[in-house]
Amino acid sequence: MKRIYGLDRPWHEGYLRWLGNVVRGDLGRSFSRKQPVTTLIGERIGPTFLISGTALVLAWLLGVPLGLYASARSGMADERATSLLLYVLYSFPTFVAALFLQIVFSVWLRGTPWELPLFGMSDLPADAGWAAWAVDVARHAILPITCQTYVSLAYDSRFIKANMEEAVRQDYIRTARAKGAGTGRVLFHHAFRNTLIPLVTLLGLSLPGLIGGSVIIEQIFTWPGMGRLFFESIRERDYPTIMGLTLMFSVLTLIGQLLADLLYCLVDPRVSVE
Amino acid sequence: MTDSQSRHQSRGFWAEAWARFRRKPLAMAALVFVTLLAAVALLAPAIAGTKPVLCRYKGRIYAPCLGYFDRRLEPTIFAKDRFRGTYPKNLAEKDPDSWAIWPLVFQDPHRAVRENEWPGRPANPAKDEGRPNRINLFGTDQYGVDVFAKMVHGTTIALLVGVVSMGLAGTIGIIVGAVGGYFGGWVDMLTSRVTEIVMCVPTLVLILAVIAIVEKPTIWKTMAIIGATGWTGIARLTRGEFLRLRQSEFVTAARATGAGPVRIMLRHILPNALAPVLVPITFGIASAILTESSLSFLGFGPPPPAASWGSLLNDARSNLSMWWLVVFPGVAIFLTVLAYNLIGEGLQEVTDPRLREARK
Repeated sequence: MKRIYGLDRPWHEGYLRWLGNVVRGDLGRSFSRKQPVTTLIGERIGPTFLISGTALVLAWLLGVPLGLYASARSGMADERATSLLLYVLYSFPTFVAALFLQIVFSVWLRGTPWELPLFGMSDLPADAGWAAWAVDVARHAILPITCQTYVSLAYDSRFIKANMEEAVRQDYIRTARAKGAGTGRVLFHHAFRNTLIPLVTLLGLSLPGLIGGSVIIEQIFTWPGMGRLFFESIRERDYPTIMGLTLMFSVLTLIGQLLADLLYCLVDPRVSVE
Repeated sequence: MTDSQSRHQSRGFWAEAWARFRRKPLAMAALVFVTLLAAVALLAPAIAGTKPVLCRYKGRIYAPCLGYFDRRLEPTIFAKDRFRGTYPKNLAEKDPDSWAIWPLVFQDPHRAVRENEWPGRPANPAKDEGRPNRINLFGTDQYGVDVFAKMVHGTTIALLVGVVSMGLAGTIGIIVGAVGGYFGGWVDMLTSRVTEIVMCVPTLVLILAVIAIVEKPTIWKTMAIIGATGWTGIARLTRGEFLRLRQSEFVTAARATGAGPVRIMLRHILPNALAPVLVPITFGIASAILTESSLSFLGFGPPPPAASWGSLLNDARSNLSMWWLVVFPGVAIFLTVLAYNLIGEGLQEVTDPRLREARK
């Protein structure tokens, strides 16, 4: 038993052996599931990506216009109301929101067509049709996606507005206004394009979350993704899985930053890969 | 001459900042709210409990309510006389001359109140029947324990988590940032790389991984872990401020008078760098409270009977029809986080000269 798990050797030797296996693409076998860790991760990546990918796209699609709108109407009553609302949303804990949504959609709306399933990814047997399965998964995914979207939406739009406020104070904006460019053109063409660098950084930082998922949301909705895998492996003290996932998160963070660095040249011609 | 000079002396930086902070209604409301919470945390045993705040028993005056802060503070005479935590009946039976000042709400955060424990009052309803009512303001949980009492006593944890863990994070962050920024060179290289490495790992993942290793989790260990992982932003800001300020004239002047590096860092640079550093600390308090409640919510909270707001929410998950188990603690967490965020934002606006100019 000790020999199988390599516990008869000192810990640094075990670590080196683990590192050697990682280089060869072997993350070891899970203690509790008797499966290779790479297989486990492969199974969970898809569901997580479904939630976090959709949430990311939605958050940016809604967040960019909201942020621009807020900076265009800065100081007016409607902007203040929107900003305050976003601020409140930003401080609203996800797990509280998730529980509220669960109560509303599964307890209060029980029996109505609006009722949404609480747990898991699909209730249908494996032989159900493709279309029925897709609809069922979508129904299961609505609540987790909503929870994940609203947090990043609030954060993104506030971030965009803060950067825009910095940008519209620059001299080139005054020049653009002076030469008679319209408000929309000044905001979008002159100011927004100059705030792209911090936005790209933010996008790069969201890469680990995109694949790593959210522990809390996946745990609440028992969504079979990476975050839940991580949580379960901690509960089960499944060290190979914990090690593999932590390694993956760290590598993803690095890749995200590298990607952001590469994207800088795309959004800002002054930066080059030199 | 000196008289007119002192009269015309302008207000100091902090007095100026405070004057501007007071004009922000939202930030002030948040400050009042946090002060109120602190009062609730301090006075928790007097607000909700089953032990008298003050009582006279066999000729002496005791304060059994202190037992809620620490078991050892409860006077031993009551254990000797077999009170077993039930005060009203026992006080009357064992000493007819006794009197007591009771907490505002007679409910216990650790157990259900039994029938006639308070003369003429029914037992707390258990299972999912404990809707909020006149006796149980916020309802009761599955075991009949009063939610209001639990929440009042959980306030201490919520506030302590924020202050203790950010105190730790602030100390580490300021030291690392100050040393790196002041000395520069290879020291800066080293501290910056360490900061970046810690920054790379997602906080919740790191905390969960550490908790998996720690034996016997307590609330203090959780605070220590949150503090030990949350200092990176503070360190980066402090480093930036120190890099900027170490070139200034007053530092050169201090060096000319023969002050050592520690003295220059602490007495000369730090007071000037404190305002921008306080902002991430305040936001950090909000996120520490959020992290602690998510941990408790995931089941990694303080061991019972101590109850944090997050663990109340965890109880609610198994029975969603008990909406009062979600709404009251949820709103409490949300308001506290919001309050700290508002204070942080207010602080940022009144101390950052760049934002101040933008207002005009």
